[in-house]
Amino acid sequence: MNTMQTALIRKDIHSITSNKRLFPVLVIVPLIMTVFIPSIFLLTIVLSPVGTDDFQSMVALLPESMQQGDIKEMVISLMLNNIIPLFFLLIPIMAASVMAASSFVGEKEKQTLETLLYCPMTLRQIFQAKILASFLLSMSVSLLSFLVMTIVVELELWFLMGTLILPSINWLIMIVLVSPGASMIAITLIVQGSAKAQTIEESQQRSVFLILPVFLLVVGQFSGLLLINVWILLGLGVILAALALLLLKKSFRGFHYELLLK
Amino acid sequence: MKAVVADNLSKIYSGSKKAINRISLTLEQGEIFGFLGPNGAGKTTTIKLLNGMLSPSEGSCRVFDVDPAASPEMVHGMSGVITERAQMYDHLTGLQNLLLFGALFGISKQDSRQRAQELLSMLDLNDAGNKKLGTYSTGMRQRLSLARAMIHKPSILFLDEPTSGLDPESAKRVNQLIWQLARQDGTTVFLCTHQLRYAEEICTCYGLVDQGELLNKGDLNQLRASLSTGLTVTVKADRPPKDMEYTKTGDLLYQLHVSSEQEVAEIARRIVDSGTKLYHISARQLTLEEIYFALIEQRRREGGQQDEYHADSTDQKGYSQHHIQ
Repeated sequence: MNTMQTALIRKDIHSITSNKRLFPVLVIVPLIMTVFIPSIFLLTIVLSPVGTDDFQSMVALLPESMQQGDIKEMVISLMLNNIIPLFFLLIPIMAASVMAASSFVGEKEKQTLETLLYCPMTLRQIFQAKILASFLLSMSVSLLSFLVMTIVVELELWFLMGTLILPSINWLIMIVLVSPGASMIAITLIVQGSAKAQTIEESQQRSVFLILPVFLLVVGQFSGLLLINVWILLGLGVILAALALLLLKKSFRGFHYELLLK
Repeated sequence: MKAVVADNLSKIYSGSKKAINRISLTLEQGEIFGFLGPNGAGKTTTIKLLNGMLSPSEGSCRVFDVDPAASPEMVHGMSGVITERAQMYDHLTGLQNLLLFGALFGISKQDSRQRAQELLSMLDLNDAGNKKLGTYSTGMRQRLSLARAMIHKPSILFLDEPTSGLDPESAKRVNQLIWQLARQDGTTVFLCTHQLRYAEEICTCYGLVDQGELLNKGDLNQLRASLSTGLTVTVKADRPPKDMEYTKTGDLLYQLHVSSEQEVAEIARRIVDSGTKLYHISARQLTLEEIYFALIEQRRREGGQQDEYHADSTDQKGYSQHHIQ
């Protein structure tokens, strides 16, 4: 990274945080995913009578080794460490998509891309800086969301149940591997589409392809079809990260000024 | 070292006709070169080729001995470009925009602040410097673009229609500033425009282009000399001179094109000899605009035998457009 690239990264991040239309999206969606949804789950579980069939059938989904102790705590742990992480996965995908679309296609839309291309950086350097800016923002939003969620959920647990249920190793894999991978894939998909797309909305539609599998995973959790555990999550993370690197390498190829300025 | 060398430069966009066709030209350092022609003549394409934004279909070009197709970023470091589609950020102030582009050109914070202030005051944007670009008028935007293009003290400026869309007063001011800035730093200027009068005020040499072809190049005198009609004669008389080609420009007013002052005397003699009253006769050299139209006319006549040209429409700028059938 040279100073010109650093300046570009700063500019890109600043232009999204000062954007009155896009910045609220980056704040509200993570708040819903990490504060609103977990709190609703938590309250429902805490306030429901223990012996309901629903709880029994949910707990039955768990491997036998995990089926011990207080039934409510088991359900909460299932929710906190198996279901919420998947909702959480939407945050890096969303943040990366919003940022990348604004950074690549938005510049084209506002006719500032050409000015940028006249700077003494190679096309590759410009792309590197822009991809990194999107990645950094997406990772910061994810990390912050995780921190806020942990604080809120633990506080709620403490006050409602007088106990703490700490995040499991699933979260570590999520934050270190899965969410950077998903975020990078979202960015590269948008970058690849940026040559053709003329508007921000058009290019954001591509990230729908990423959100669909996430929803399938969420459904899988509830139906017990595929319960994520450390190994599945780890495998998923490795696949996503590898795919992200592959796409990243590919995204630099085949780009030239003429294509971008069409 | 030459500032710009283009050698048989051609560009064909995929599937369509040649945007520019075998253009060759050389620019000395410090020259203010007016690249003149109607909309769609290939001026912007040429600027993009010289900055490596497009790669030539045929031929080659060099800017300060660097091939823009091979190392565009090196050319960008030496050049400042203004085109209609190269805008700045509306959510930043004028000064912030300049500082940003200073940083993007690798200039230290301190230097770019100093340079930005200098340019803002030169361009009469001191007060506007702290206002967001979104609030700027077209003229102010254009002036700020000029400041942006000059923030890194480029060796060459590529200006694509820098005065288009401006009211006459702003256009004149921008024009003067280009001249002033170029003179001050000895910058070479490659100025594309269809506003011939503004070009005539500041350019030291010209290239006239139409439909991607370079019709002629040189300074005003060279251009005049290339035409057989170097002088425009205005006559006010009861009847036009006999056996001479003329255009009637008003009540008793006639205009003729001749190549020497000798012929002016001949016109006067013919009118007087025919017993017609002669009220006024004057001769002046061809303006850039007249040369331009004469060259286009000439090309049409020459090309007419091969291509069949039709001058059937006039665009909003008042220049005839020709279509190859």
